[in-house]
Amino acid sequence: MRSFAYVVPDSVAGAVDALAAAEPGTKILAGGTTLYDLMKLGVEAPPAVIDIHRLAELTEISTGEGELSFGAGAKMAEVADHPVVRRDYPALSESLWRAASQQLRNMATVGGNLLQRTRCGYFRGGAEFGCNKRDPGSGCAALEGLDRTHALLGASDACIATYPGDWAVALIAFDAELDVVGPRGERTLPLGDLHVEPGDNPVLEHTLAADELILRIRVPATPAGRGSTYHKIRDRESYAFALTSAAAAVTLDAQGTVTDCRIGLGGVATRPWRATAAERSLLGEQLTMGTARHAGEVAFADARPVRTGAFRVELGIRTVTDALLTAGKQAAR
Amino acid sequence: MKTPDLGRVDAHEKVTGTASYGADRVPDDLAYAMFAVATIGKGRTVSIDTAAAEAVPGVRLVLTRFDEDELRGPGFLMGGGFAFQSLQPLLSDVVAYRGQPIALIVADTLVAATEAADLVRARYEIEPFAVGIDDEGATSVLQEEALPWFPDVKVGDAETAYAASPVQIDETYLHPAQHQVPMELISSVVQWKGDRLVVHESTQNAGALRHGVAAQLNLDPADVDVISPYIGGGFGSRNALQPHIGPLALAARRLRRPVKLVIPRRQTFHTGSFRPVSRHRIRLGADPSGRLLAALHDADHQTSRHDLYPAMYTEITSRLYAVPNFGGRQRLVQTDVQTPGFMRAPNEGPASFAFESAVDVLAYATGQDPVELRLANDTATDPVTGLPFSSRHLAQCLTRGAERFGWQKRDPRPGSMRAADGSLVGLGVAVGAHPVLVAPAVARMSAGADGRVTVGVDGHEMGQGIRSAIALLVAQDLGVPVQDVVVRVGDTRVAPQHLTAGAWGTATALPAVHKALRELRKRLGAGDTGTVEVAAAVRATGHGSPEVEVTSVGPGQPPEMLDRSRAGLFSAAGPVFPDFTAFSWAAHFVEVRIEATTRRIRVPRALCVADCGRVASPVTAASQVRGGVIWGISEALRESSEVDPRFGGFLNTTLEEYPVAVNADIAEIDFDFIDEPDLLLSEVGVKGLGELTMIGVAAAVANAVFHATGQRQNRLPIRIEDVM
Ligand SMILES: Cc1cc2nc3c(=O)[nH]c(=O)nc-3n(C[C@H](O)[C@H](O)[C@H](O)COP(=O)(O)OP(=O)(O)OC[C@H]3O[C@@H](n4cnc5c(N)ncnc54)[C@H](O)[C@@H]3O)c2cc1C
Ligand code: SF4
Repeated sequence: MRSFAYVVPDSVAGAVDALAAAEPGTKILAGGTTLYDLMKLGVEAPPAVIDIHRLAELTEISTGEGELSFGAGAKMAEVADHPVVRRDYPALSESLWRAASQQLRNMATVGGNLLQRTRCGYFRGGAEFGCNKRDPGSGCAALEGLDRTHALLGASDACIATYPGDWAVALIAFDAELDVVGPRGERTLPLGDLHVEPGDNPVLEHTLAADELILRIRVPATPAGRGSTYHKIRDRESYAFALTSAAAAVTLDAQGTVTDCRIGLGGVATRPWRATAAERSLLGEQLTMGTARHAGEVAFADARPVRTGAFRVELGIRTVTDALLTAGKQAAR
Repeated sequence: MKTPDLGRVDAHEKVTGTASYGADRVPDDLAYAMFAVATIGKGRTVSIDTAAAEAVPGVRLVLTRFDEDELRGPGFLMGGGFAFQSLQPLLSDVVAYRGQPIALIVADTLVAATEAADLVRARYEIEPFAVGIDDEGATSVLQEEALPWFPDVKVGDAETAYAASPVQIDETYLHPAQHQVPMELISSVVQWKGDRLVVHESTQNAGALRHGVAAQLNLDPADVDVISPYIGGGFGSRNALQPHIGPLALAARRLRRPVKLVIPRRQTFHTGSFRPVSRHRIRLGADPSGRLLAALHDADHQTSRHDLYPAMYTEITSRLYAVPNFGGRQRLVQTDVQTPGFMRAPNEGPASFAFESAVDVLAYATGQDPVELRLANDTATDPVTGLPFSSRHLAQCLTRGAERFGWQKRDPRPGSMRAADGSLVGLGVAVGAHPVLVAPAVARMSAGADGRVTVGVDGHEMGQGIRSAIALLVAQDLGVPVQDVVVRVGDTRVAPQHLTAGAWGTATALPAVHKALRELRKRLGAGDTGTVEVAAAVRATGHGSPEVEVTSVGPGQPPEMLDRSRAGLFSAAGPVFPDFTAFSWAAHFVEVRIEATTRRIRVPRALCVADCGRVASPVTAASQVRGGVIWGISEALRESSEVDPRFGGFLNTTLEEYPVAVNADIAEIDFDFIDEPDLLLSEVGVKGLGELTMIGVAAAVANAVFHATGQRQNRLPIRIEDVM
């Protein structure tokens, strides 16, 4: 633990000003469940933190016509338990319920959640482990190490760390957008453009500028929401990150033909992963065990198995299959 | 007589937070300590730079090395000493394992101590190391040669009998390293009161702490008090002197301030003991009906370079059945880790996983029902010594359990049973046994004019409910309300406080309390039985508060064992006593369901039927069963301490990464007790329970997984990839 400045702005505008004026490396603090954790581990050492968790402006949840909107400061538990979200977008609600623990969900925000960092043991373990993400150029200990939960999709020779979150995986399936604000004003970007693959620079995880703040997450209304689920397979029944997960949403016409399909993959890729080719494979098809499985196979066609976690390719295919079939049942309800 | 169900006597304190655990104390002027730890797998520190640490405001002391005169080695618990390992950090430049403390920081605040610890920088000379039992550089010794006082069990001529057996089973099982991870972190508050050292620490072995730290610091043990009224989970991690106490006491003396250390979770994976890796080759020879003719159990058992932590796997595997020829052979594999040690059912857990899995293989090989096969091999005498078992109701555990569990509805063919949702269903059975050990005990009992009875006795309250069991015994015997009984345990000021572990705590304390009750009755002029009006009887004696002190030893134990116990040394005896052999027994039944597609393994129900002698406290006994079965499920399906051989040490060192079972993993746990007192053992008739309840669970799970899938599981934990 190093000393750091602790700034408490009383408005979003104040937070933006504080961020613009702050020393490089200054961080926004929301629930603190990622940031404080990484500070205690010595992975993050911001000179200052700007605490936004009391800003009521950021906690609004609205479920009006046309879209859902979640303030970045809304708590995971509140969004998970929101009656409209539960009814119309089960995948969104379930992705939050199946994350972390009740205590963490009560504290953590849906904005901070998007920017949580990998659970790679070498990244978190200490300076003695080579890690290009924590310490550029120091190598990647995971490549020849304990890689059972590392990424099958989107990895590079520099880093194979899995993006661990669940919520972003469900959001990406629904074409969510982010409103962000900075000294240059507000802008909107698709959630799909937030996270980046490690490439040769694993330090860079997202496209937000250092002086930008997430205001809210917006999800365009879609009937596919009702026919959705978030399926998460993990090493224990609760309080664990995904070995494989899938957000699936489908719309079926009266004949049971798939007219819309969304698939997000979690626990298997370096970023929240949208399986667009798999989605396309189902359009115009009946949703059966066979077509669902085929979609799963398409989703993992480019997977590069890790040494001790190769089973997660097949597990991922089955996870997608089951998620699609559950989504189909939801759609038919 | 059955024991009435009166709950836990300390429940109110515990749920209201008034129960004060070891490091809950905050004496005036308290300073806070933190360790900096080694970040290499093995080698030497060439230099340790503490300048930055010392410069942190509020830092009072940074210590990297003690003198051999001020801090002596503590000695290994299993080698006549007091500590979980012989190696005392901060005495030399040797780094024996990753995570070994290399500096102790003491500061005015926890924040300053933590920051300073992070700033300690060491330069090392790195040496090659081996952490896995098969890694290059791991060396091994035969236990019976290296530790002749822990011999392998050998009966008859097992090799020859095995070779001649018509049915032969030969299977090898691997058990991973696991850590105890109790909720309460390893921690202490040490304080000098003049020349007296007071140590507040949640420990299962206050006696060893007292004598160990006295020996290390050259103090008179009488000048050391160790106070441990409650423990937030021990599971073996708190059963000996920890290497932080000596340095902490010296720092407190230098600063003339009390010092507190709470070891952070990550460090606890290296600062204390753990369950070592073990490999078991089991060979069973039988006749075509499944009657056992021979059994061979070869074990490889991980230990450290600096200590030989003995294996005792064959102690139970030689006694589960009527095996006329048994051959045990245990090898100790020396690796570069802190010394492993006792973790709940330390030997019996892994041993029963291996042996009882092999017995299931035998049942299938001979076409026998797994329950029937076990019943057919039952024995009333100890095959190792020829002595009778003091009590063995294992057959009853099996038959009662089979009935209660609905075993007869099981279709024995693997993969034949399905649930409505398509999950594969498997039912498995296994038995467990735990040696009964009894230690000497001292009990002091006094009665007050207010009618209250105070009893101080050897024993530690680890959540297992020893305080409740003692209070119940006293209340029932004297006919007083249980709230009028004050129990003091875990306190060296009232009794020597021998190690409480191996499930002998209750069996050790209760006979002493029982004896003290007889003496107190005499002092109060009360009859040998019947209700006593305590307040009136005390007034009648004319003394303020009459007090008695008694001692007890285990059956056949010489009284000198008390002297050992008073010296803080291990002095438990058993399971072989002069006239009998004593074990507690259990049968476990488990149902697993394995999802048809993504293959998650679930345990919707488990049943444990236990023969633990008399049930001393029904509420806490029930909780012991639940806890044990949960531990068994977690052992079987979840827990593994991960090692990257390139770095040494353990990698998954948080509660998030080290996957203990969570509530959502646990469904119905049913249980039943035989509840027959073992009167050969003591008048109270109590055997042990705490460890027994997890022994056999892992094998029952693995056997159930086999029944569900047709795939044998010879390695724990059993995870999704093993049943894909
Ligand atoms: C033990 C444990 C288990 C967990 N299990 C799961 C799990 O199973 N699934 C899962 O999905 N997650 C899991 N998590 C992660 C948890 O969900 C995240 O830590 C949490 O959502 C982060 O939210 P927060 O508000 O606490 O963020 P903080 O820790 O406050 O911030 C996280 C990051 O986001 C930045 N940030 C926060 N808010 C904003 C904003 N408005 N604009 C710009 N930047 C911002 C911060 O600067 C920081 O870099 C787990 C966490 C823990 C500790
Ligand atoms: S996978 Fe990425 S985060 Fe993990 S050690 Fe390699 S570089 Fe670091």
